[in-house]
Amino acid sequence: MSTPNSMRVGPFCASVLVKKKYLILYIFLIWLSLLPAILEIWWYWQMLWYELRPLHFYVFLPLFLIVIYVSTVFASIFFTKILLLIISIFHKPREGTFLRDPADKDYRYWSLRNTIKKWPTWLAHKFPFPFLDNICFKAFGVKTKFSNSLFEGWVDTEFIEFGKNVVIGQGAIIQSSVIIGNFLIIRKTVIEENVRVGAHVIIMPGTHIGKNCILNTWSSTMVGQELKEGWIYNGSPAKEFKKNRFFEDIPIEKLTKTIGDMDGLLKKYDETRVARVTKKRKSLKRKDKEENTTEEKGLK
Amino acid sequence: MNENLENEKKDTENEEDDSEFIIDFTTSSAINRVSLKFLVVYIPIFWFSGIAVATFWYGYTVSSVPWIIKLLFLPLILLGFSFLFIFTCFFFSKLLLIFINLIHLPKEGIFRTERGDMDFEFWRLRTEIKKITLWLLRNWPLPWIDVIAFRWFGIKMDFSSHLNDAWCDAEFISFGKNVTVGQGAVIMSSMVVGNYLIIKKIRFDDYALIGGQSTIAPGTHFGEDTVLGAVSVTTLNQKLEDGWIYSGIPARKLKPNKYAEMRRDIIHKVDVDEEEKVETEHEVNIDDDKKHLIKRGNGGDNK
Repeated sequence: MSTPNSMRVGPFCASVLVKKKYLILYIFLIWLSLLPAILEIWWYWQMLWYELRPLHFYVFLPLFLIVIYVSTVFASIFFTKILLLIISIFHKPREGTFLRDPADKDYRYWSLRNTIKKWPTWLAHKFPFPFLDNICFKAFGVKTKFSNSLFEGWVDTEFIEFGKNVVIGQGAIIQSSVIIGNFLIIRKTVIEENVRVGAHVIIMPGTHIGKNCILNTWSSTMVGQELKEGWIYNGSPAKEFKKNRFFEDIPIEKLTKTIGDMDGLLKKYDETRVARVTKKRKSLKRKDKEENTTEEKGLK
Repeated sequence: MNENLENEKKDTENEEDDSEFIIDFTTSSAINRVSLKFLVVYIPIFWFSGIAVATFWYGYTVSSVPWIIKLLFLPLILLGFSFLFIFTCFFFSKLLLIFINLIHLPKEGIFRTERGDMDFEFWRLRTEIKKITLWLLRNWPLPWIDVIAFRWFGIKMDFSSHLNDAWCDAEFISFGKNVTVGQGAVIMSSMVVGNYLIIKKIRFDDYALIGGQSTIAPGTHFGEDTVLGAVSVTTLNQKLEDGWIYSGIPARKLKPNKYAEMRRDIIHKVDVDEEEKVETEHEVNIDDDKKHLIKRGNGGDNK
């Protein structure tokens, strides 16, 4: 509802700048996309401005400002799309694992694409209505439906596919590309129908979430993880928590039950969240080795 | 063998039938879908508040003040205009909200997320209407002012509480005094679970503290002096006791809040002092012939 400035929401691009000369394209885009706005202002002035300072000039000004803003966003999306198409002729965006190095062509072009897309997405954010964000998604090749609500989380703008009725929680991060150490991983993320992603969830590239899934708050998935259809997931990495039956027709009295067995619940959470027991390796430790040798000597 | 196993599974499913419906997890309440009927609500709000600003702008351009003075005051006037725009937006959305609440009163409970469900539809409409003003105020370089918006939209809170950098629902929440909410925290009094929408009131008592990036589910009740650590989650209808530090997913007791005890002692002393003052004033103001009517503090002896 009331989104803070620090929580980045809606479609978003990774801000990795491989080469500074990409910024020239960025500024070029800003210049191009502001041209129609200037034309419109000139037209409005010509139409409605007389010596007498007419009242209707002022009455329609606020409406006209909205039109200018929306048309600027559309123009920026249009020019960005053309640039993206030109770039994809030189090098097609593709999935895979790439070196994080300016010498790597895929890495460079990934950064270039994000730099170009930044201006329209930023501009679309500054409008309080999510309608422009959605157009950004669709123009940049994310498959979405109008029944989705993706505007409270951070969502990447390429290699993502959404089904119907997806809800993405506040501050969730949905990625299709990630930098790990020296590598850049780009993989397609697929989220199917009726998925409810909780607040602060992190979804890594290559995740496939089946139909009717629910992800608990603060859970995260691994690269390339597959979540089965119709389960509630919890923990990091996400594990099966229980079967999802909240999409059935349940009498509402059943839902009002409070949690009785709190200790059992805590145990259940601990299994998925905390418990990661690592066994001690015996043979590799120096002390053990020494002990072994002394024992052998003693035997001798 | 396989059939037996399947039968056993079915039996266990039937036994655990009720426990499966317990909501012991927390999801999100983010529904701002793109439906064009909301645009119909937005455009008049924008337009009317824009006209209010435009009339002032007209007055500014027409006035016969020398242009140097006009230019000098331009920044101040622009600031005032943006302020005026936000508050007229605020006014019109509040007006709309009152009308909508006359048609359908907001209430707590569990509802279906379907087209036909009145509660769900009106909940969506309410959130959409409130969204613009809150969005404008949050993108406005005067961060303390969003408390006014929250108060107008029906949250009980005063200026001693802070939720500046948090995602917060704008209904069914009541704050006590001096509540601090951390950065990136999510406070939701409504939650979408599967096909169901849950709306439940959240209560924060005095001096509650919520850590950064934590998630608070509907129906949570924070006691006095309760602290919730960073990156922790409360479950539905969880009650956090007075004077404890909670942490983890889901939130569990960590240790008693000793800092709160220290503060409580100080307040106690002040209270006692004030009581003594009152007693002395009483003795001075009473006539001599009526002194025997006063009851003394110890045992009620007459003097």
